[in-house]
Amino acid sequence: MKLLANLIVNVMVFLALAFGGGLATAWYMIEAGSPLSTRSFGPWTAWTSAGRPEADPYTRAHVFRNGLLPLSTTLEVAFRAKLDSTGSRLTSSCDYTLQLPDMAPAWWNLAVFDGQGRLISNPAERYAFSSSSAARQPDGRTVISVARDARPGNWLPSGRASRIVLVLTVQDAATAATIHDEGIMRSLPEIKRERCR
Amino acid sequence: MTATSAQQWPPKPPRWVSDVGWRTVVGGLLAGGIIHILATFAAPVLGSGNAFAKLRATLPENAMVVVPPVAPGKQILPYVPPDAMYAMCRFDLTAGPVNVTALIADTGWVLSMHTPQGDNFYVMPRQLLRRDEVSFTIVPRSPTEHGRSPKIAGPTDSQVVSPTVEGLIVVRAPLKGIAWQAETEAQLKRSGCTQVKG
Repeated sequence: MKLLANLIVNVMVFLALAFGGGLATAWYMIEAGSPLSTRSFGPWTAWTSAGRPEADPYTRAHVFRNGLLPLSTTLEVAFRAKLDSTGSRLTSSCDYTLQLPDMAPAWWNLAVFDGQGRLISNPAERYAFSSSSAARQPDGRTVISVARDARPGNWLPSGRASRIVLVLTVQDAATAATIHDEGIMRSLPEIKRERCR
Repeated sequence: MTATSAQQWPPKPPRWVSDVGWRTVVGGLLAGGIIHILATFAAPVLGSGNAFAKLRATLPENAMVVVPPVAPGKQILPYVPPDAMYAMCRFDLTAGPVNVTALIADTGWVLSMHTPQGDNFYVMPRQLLRRDEVSFTIVPRSPTEHGRSPKIAGPTDSQVVSPTVEGLIVVRAPLKGIAWQAETEAQLKRSGCTQVKG
């Protein structure tokens, strides 16, 4: 009887380690990413080889599973933020401000999505700003407010989703080179939380 | 006695833990590693929610289609820049090469080509082009070619080798504002994707 109980315990532990551990770590590496396949700059994270034919297996699985169609990161990089610059989860019940430096001649786009990458419905029907649509300050900077209610200037509505994700897409060879050569990224904006309800 | 037990730290592990052999732990970790690798490589093969599978049903073969403007509930794919319009073509080289023409009008406009697995094997951004209009032919890769890195367009490319028989061509046209939508759509409609006859 003792032998049987011992066998059952060992089989259960083996299966938990094999399936639980193996599948959970694979899921984490594919969905959240790790320093093997992503680079983080403050709250912004990019998959460094997304879209490239020689991408690592985690990146390929991430792109495939999430139904993404990225451009090669040799040309354009999509930075995704789920947290603000203090490390708190981004949510539509808080207001945020981003100050983008003058990135000319690069093309950029800042969009807000829910946690599944879906657009958030809002009465203004505005879902993004880009370098060709946002109003700039005289010094070339662009200030964007992400908030539920209307704000003066470049207001990006966050609607009534609970968790939000900001995606900053930058089409620029210098930015693309920085994420591959371990350089310091200077042009990514801080996500400053202004107030919460 | 009770007070002494309550203060015991670290807590005593359950009795069954002592029954777990080291071979079980090592074997479990090794098997976990194998399952991790298998799951990672199987994810792209087993999943059905990839971009190509989603678009295959809506895009006709070898024809360029201007996709309706992106809006909540009408997104073509997750996380795509929403203040842009898109023209797409699902090419199939089984019956021969495919001719592609496109207008790449302004900064941010880009023509990209993707395999069904999502690899972007060719990209043509506006800033590398001298002319607005581009025209080239997609041909299948011969079995002896092994190109791996994505190719960024040169201004004189007339033939692009596709690593797969099927794939997607996407022309992205950023919108400066709602007032530019009709003009942008008209420019996108000048893009084409047709099977080479004969």
